[in-house]
Amino acid sequence: MYNGVSIETQKLNKQFGPVHAVRNLTLQVREGSRFGFLGPNGAGKTTTVRILSGLMKPSSGTATVCGLPLASKRNEIKAITGLLPETPGLYSKLSAVEFLEFIGALNGRNGKALNGRIDRLLAILGLESRQDDLLESYSSGMKQKVLIASTILHEPKLVFLDEPTARLDPSASAIVKELIGILAESTGTTFFICTHQTSFAEDVCDQIGIINEGQLVALGPVEELIETSKAKDLENAYLQIVGGKVDREALLAWR
Amino acid sequence: MASKWYSIAKAEYQVSTSSMRKSRTRNMILLLAFGLVWAIFLAPFMIGTITGLILPFEFLQILLVTILPGFMRAVMFFLWMMILIIPLSRALQEIKIGQWEILLSNDVRTRDILIGSFLGKLPIYGLLVLYLAPPFFALFFLAFEVTLIGQILIYLTLFIAVLSTIWLSNLITVAIQAKLGESPRGKDIANGVGILLAIVSIIPMYGIMFFSLQFSAILGLNVFLIFPFTWPADVISWITILFSQIGLTSNHILIFQQTLQFDINISTTLLSLFAAVCIIIGLASADRIFTYNIGARTEQITTIKGENVILRGIRKVASGSFGTLLVTCLKDFFRKASNLSRIAYGIILAIVLPFIMTQMILIVGRDSGGVDMMMVVMISGISMALIGSFAFSGTAFMESKDQLWIIQSTPSGTTRYVKARLIAGFLIALPLCIIPALAITIIITGTLATLGFLLIYGYIIICGAIMFSTGVTALNPYYEDTKSPEHQMNVMVTTMGVEFTILAPIMISLFGDILGLPFWDIIRSIAGSAGMPFAFAIIGMVALLIVGGGALLIGTRRLAQPEV
Repeated sequence: MYNGVSIETQKLNKQFGPVHAVRNLTLQVREGSRFGFLGPNGAGKTTTVRILSGLMKPSSGTATVCGLPLASKRNEIKAITGLLPETPGLYSKLSAVEFLEFIGALNGRNGKALNGRIDRLLAILGLESRQDDLLESYSSGMKQKVLIASTILHEPKLVFLDEPTARLDPSASAIVKELIGILAESTGTTFFICTHQTSFAEDVCDQIGIINEGQLVALGPVEELIETSKAKDLENAYLQIVGGKVDREALLAWR
Repeated sequence: MASKWYSIAKAEYQVSTSSMRKSRTRNMILLLAFGLVWAIFLAPFMIGTITGLILPFEFLQILLVTILPGFMRAVMFFLWMMILIIPLSRALQEIKIGQWEILLSNDVRTRDILIGSFLGKLPIYGLLVLYLAPPFFALFFLAFEVTLIGQILIYLTLFIAVLSTIWLSNLITVAIQAKLGESPRGKDIANGVGILLAIVSIIPMYGIMFFSLQFSAILGLNVFLIFPFTWPADVISWITILFSQIGLTSNHILIFQQTLQFDINISTTLLSLFAAVCIIIGLASADRIFTYNIGARTEQITTIKGENVILRGIRKVASGSFGTLLVTCLKDFFRKASNLSRIAYGIILAIVLPFIMTQMILIVGRDSGGVDMMMVVMISGISMALIGSFAFSGTAFMESKDQLWIIQSTPSGTTRYVKARLIAGFLIALPLCIIPALAITIIITGTLATLGFLLIYGYIIICGAIMFSTGVTALNPYYEDTKSPEHQMNVMVTTMGVEFTILAPIMISLFGDILGLPFWDIIRSIAGSAGMPFAFAIIGMVALLIVGGGALLIGTRRLAQPEV
């Protein structure tokens, strides 16, 4: 057991040559929570996810994921976590069912139980009529749905979602939001969500961390961040914390 | 306002010279200036000095005067291949319809795209020719003592030939790209076509080499005369002869006339007509055949039906999640046109190479009893290894680095994935070794025992090559597509590594013999003279299994490690 804490990091750092992608990240994410990780492009969100999911070694610092030390228990961590990567690496010549079967097999699952689960997930995501078509003919939103299904297929305790709704239409986004909510509430699944969409984070997440230039610059529940920033919503609070006030006059200066 | 074709040409030029973007203009001027100095002074001087050290010039002169027409045709043929097929093959592996969308949404006519992309390619290909052509021509300039006007006319002819070829290459590339469109399916088809083009360039080459006499007899003329690369070659030969200062007599010229058949006027007319027709076809067809349209072919939806009997059988034998992985790997491999093209390429090479080799042995008459078994075994091993290394490396193992995250994020996913890919490869290798083994047996009129040996030897060689190529790709899976340097490095290392490992025992024995080390004698004392080819084959095969296994082990471990 891991004392109700899904992720715990201590002074986590990642450097790529001269670039300091993650700086002294110290963080705690509770079990069953929906943690929103916000930040500008290149702030270090994806690098953090890659480190926490065991795909990348940190330059320094320690972390535990679901109570397991990251440095020594990578395989065990992978078995109980799911990752939706930022860039979709789908197999274009497989159908949705075949791809999910492949992911299931990589996680050591197969047979009727897996097939039934695949059918039901694809039905929830509205892909049942296209489930036997090759993925090469899918739109980017449909591919994203397949990837989301692949991430939760093996019932992970902790799910890393990197920009989960970036390519989805509003109704598909709504389904994903509900899916996250119900999985967190009913099964205690923890979600670590990287996103640029503040409205999505405001709707879904109960805790927010804002990272800028590799450093965690804000952490807390959504309401608390809005309140301490004296902002009207999360987007406004984000802009105040990270910077990026819009100068309306400058917007026409290029003409 | 700049013309639209000019803007496209500029962008194309900037892309092709991006590696020197910080001082592009200065570098290009320097390259051009040095190229001219190279072409006019350095290349003739260097070639003259080097050849003078190897052979007495008088002897060389006689040789060069004799081989001029044939040599020039061969040079132009390779130049034609280089600037027609290679850009075409490369371009097909990177469909750029996304750029087309941007251009056409800015109201650019397809004719502008065609002209712009053509002109943009000229500087780099022009420089390539400026650096590569002079060493070939310099020899003849020296041997024939060609006047300066003659040299200028030769480079002018070469320039026209290069321009028309690049135009033709550009025209075909743009047309195919427009028809295939940008979709995963279109990209896969284009990739497959790109690889097949390499076969298209190999087959005629060997066809011309070995069957030109037969074709000529049927057609009633020198078969080379119908190929466009012959016309500029013959014009260049004629200019070399007519502007020579070595005092060629009318008898000499008559001999050249008999070899070349067409006189300078006909060859020049044919070259000019070819260039004109290419340009006219391009301009006339631009706005018709290049209408941007992602056709039904690329947007076609393929729905998967039930699994065939082989896949069902595999599932029964290998039940559990690993069986599922294995079946998925087989499905993924066989559904890609590019993989099938690679297999076709490998098999064709595996048949063509032994065929050429036996023809050469017969022509040279090295082995009066039939063929030299050592050469046959060597070439069979090389050919079979090509199938394994070429068809299973790079994208055949993993489409791109994006897939890595998904596979690596599962527990022991990479190891299980590599194992599944490897066993899938071993299964695919079973039918692959049959065709070349049969073909080689027929070519060398071998016995059933020869067929049996080639089947077992070929299968193990292909499996060794698959292990090696999988290991190398697993060591460096960080590529975006087949054009990326990482991917090309993988394919090169795989092909060279496999071939070197197979040939290493023979090479080590030969060098050992020179150095006084008795490897050769030891093998002969064990296997006997007649058994030596087979002994070397078996040693090479074992070496490949060891090296391939090592590469696989290291690659799999590296792939399973988190990124540093």
